[in-house]
Amino acid sequence: MAQSSEFTIPGRLERIGDACAFVVSGAEIAGFTIDELFRIELACDEACTNIIEHAYDGDNVGDIRISWRIDDRSFTITMSDDGRPFDPDEVPPPEVPEDPGDLNGLKIGGLGIYFMRNLMDEVQFSRDDHRGNTLIMVKYRSSNERK
Amino acid sequence: MSIWREEIGNETWLVGVSGRLDHLQTPELESELLEIAGSGDQRMIIDMTEVTYVNSGGLRCLVTIWRKAQQGNGIVVLSGINPSLMDLFTTVGFHKVFDIYATTGEAKQALEAS
Repeated sequence: MAQSSEFTIPGRLERIGDACAFVVSGAEIAGFTIDELFRIELACDEACTNIIEHAYDGDNVGDIRISWRIDDRSFTITMSDDGRPFDPDEVPPPEVPEDPGDLNGLKIGGLGIYFMRNLMDEVQFSRDDHRGNTLIMVKYRSSNERK
Repeated sequence: MSIWREEIGNETWLVGVSGRLDHLQTPELESELLEIAGSGDQRMIIDMTEVTYVNSGGLRCLVTIWRKAQQGNGIVVLSGINPSLMDLFTTVGFHKVFDIYATTGEAKQALEAS
């Protein structure tokens, strides 16, 4: 049977830990391993940071509404905010260096979104004039479907 | 997060960090380590044995320190990174860039030999 929970935090960097703890508590119920919990926590952290820094353009400007849902197949995190439209597809991916010693070539902007996409199995963004920005991140529970 | 540092040789520093390297904690680490790196010709081992968590802010901080050290002909190496974090470092290609040692002892030996 599906299980879900909701939580709202003020969009402040110092409250990201609370958001992550809320999400991880759900992920623990879903039975993820320690390594997977780390990945889910990091994805949640990066998502909240992006909302505060890019959608709200600053600390304590608006709220972040968070929910998680567990069903047979997956663990789904939904985050929404009332910030400015933010299209992560327009953020260029970071350039991972090809050659040893070439960290000068590493363009590290967009790292948060790159992480979210690498750490979770599905990441979707949408924009609605009434509901603001919505981010949905999914981690599969079945080990043979997991990354 | 807590930070400590020790000069273990001529212009060689062992810097220990514990806890979480996230957007809240890294400014303190960055300012502390830029002070060392900014002096020029400094060699630094960042002991991450007790670091439990790193996000993109923490990674940016390490890049900033690395760049500053490079500008002053210095060296920054990392040691003691746990497997979950190592997985993350590999994802962004840090393993190709930073010299990463399993233990701080190995990092010291490598710097002494260089």
